[in-house]
Amino acid sequence: MSVPRKASGWQAAQPWISLLVRLALAAVFLGAGLSKITDLAGSARAVNAYQLMSWPAAQVVGAVQPFVEIVIGLLLLAGLVTRFAAWLAAIGLVIFISGIASAWARGLSIDCGCFSKGGQLPVGVAPNYTWDIVRDTLFLALAIFLILYPSSRFSLDAKVLGPPVNMEEEFDEQARAGATPDGEDGA
Amino acid sequence: MSKRAQEQRQTARMVREQIAREKRRKRTLWIAVGTVAVLVIGGMIGYAIYAGNKPATWNTPANANAGQDGIVTGSGPVAVDIYQDYLCPYCKQLHDSAGSQIEQMATDNKITLTIHPIAILDSRSTNQYSTRAAAAAGCASDGGKFLAYNDALYGNQPAEGGAGPSDDELIATGKNVGLTDTFATCVQDGRYMTWPVHTTDAASARGVSGTPSVFVNGTKVNPTLADIQKAVGAAAPASGSPSAS
Repeated sequence: MSVPRKASGWQAAQPWISLLVRLALAAVFLGAGLSKITDLAGSARAVNAYQLMSWPAAQVVGAVQPFVEIVIGLLLLAGLVTRFAAWLAAIGLVIFISGIASAWARGLSIDCGCFSKGGQLPVGVAPNYTWDIVRDTLFLALAIFLILYPSSRFSLDAKVLGPPVNMEEEFDEQARAGATPDGEDGA
Repeated sequence: MSKRAQEQRQTARMVREQIAREKRRKRTLWIAVGTVAVLVIGGMIGYAIYAGNKPATWNTPANANAGQDGIVTGSGPVAVDIYQDYLCPYCKQLHDSAGSQIEQMATDNKITLTIHPIAILDSRSTNQYSTRAAAAAGCASDGGKFLAYNDALYGNQPAEGGAGPSDDELIATGKNVGLTDTFATCVQDGRYMTWPVHTTDAASARGVSGTPSVFVNGTKVNPTLADIQKAVGAAAPASGSPSAS
């Protein structure tokens, strides 16, 4: 008895946890995008500081990136195509982490430009790549959680797509009805 | 009987679920396609705003270099390029600790000094001080007093985060170093207000991602007097005295 009860506890909590994760990740992406959107030229320079691409390419990436971040943030905020948005967030974060790691490996001394600013650091100011990578890895963990458990409370997905018909929800129904999944399988 | 009815009901339910699943999948697909479209459009809007905000034309001050992105002093054999923002504290530090020696090398024609006033810290003052100061420096170059005004700007450097000196204050600073009403008109008219956009753009294209950045004969060096002098010494012609050859 204890095992199904535990499982149903998780099933009851999961949509709420997913909601919190979704809103946290939305705040991260909206914050990152909005802080850059008022200074697109600065955003382009922050990309340029990584020295991974030519200045013309950095300008395109720098101008486009904040808007893409905001779209991802809005999707997560609304809970629309949550899993897809979480994938986009995860891909973005993997790119950011790789960029910071590569700047670190090449011995560049730059501000990551993660939440605006960016650019080369003055002589004598040490970059804080460890913290940047740890933070982005935490965000990546949130995104992966959302890829695994995209269904959440107060999401537009539930409204637009109707009630989910996947396995977990069936188990959820069964659990609520009092039947154990094992018993159902045996019948 | 009841068993059969139950089976029928179950089959019907499975079919309904299958249809629902199919519908859901289709809708998800379309929403994903729509999302990608929104992302692409959002990105295009971003680039359009960026490109639209970027002025395409600028006036070039007197004594500018060939690239029109810096003010030249001296005509020595070694090229020293300094990229600086008038709001940047480390630029002031470099200026205060090395400026007079570097200027001396330029006036002695040991080096060709090109100072590039760029504006990357506009967001760190409430009134676009970086751009306005760089534009005023362009006006000072027209008046033949670029270095003196450069010194005066660093002497009056505001703190980051607040409002920098107003245009009137920039004009007053210019009057203090002997600039005339022509200078005042130039600042008031914003004659060189789009010039820093060009200098900043040119700096980015050269790989400058912070200030101060110093290049000696095209090679980046640490922005300290010792390293600059060392690099100039190494790049200078081998003969002890400067020759005209």
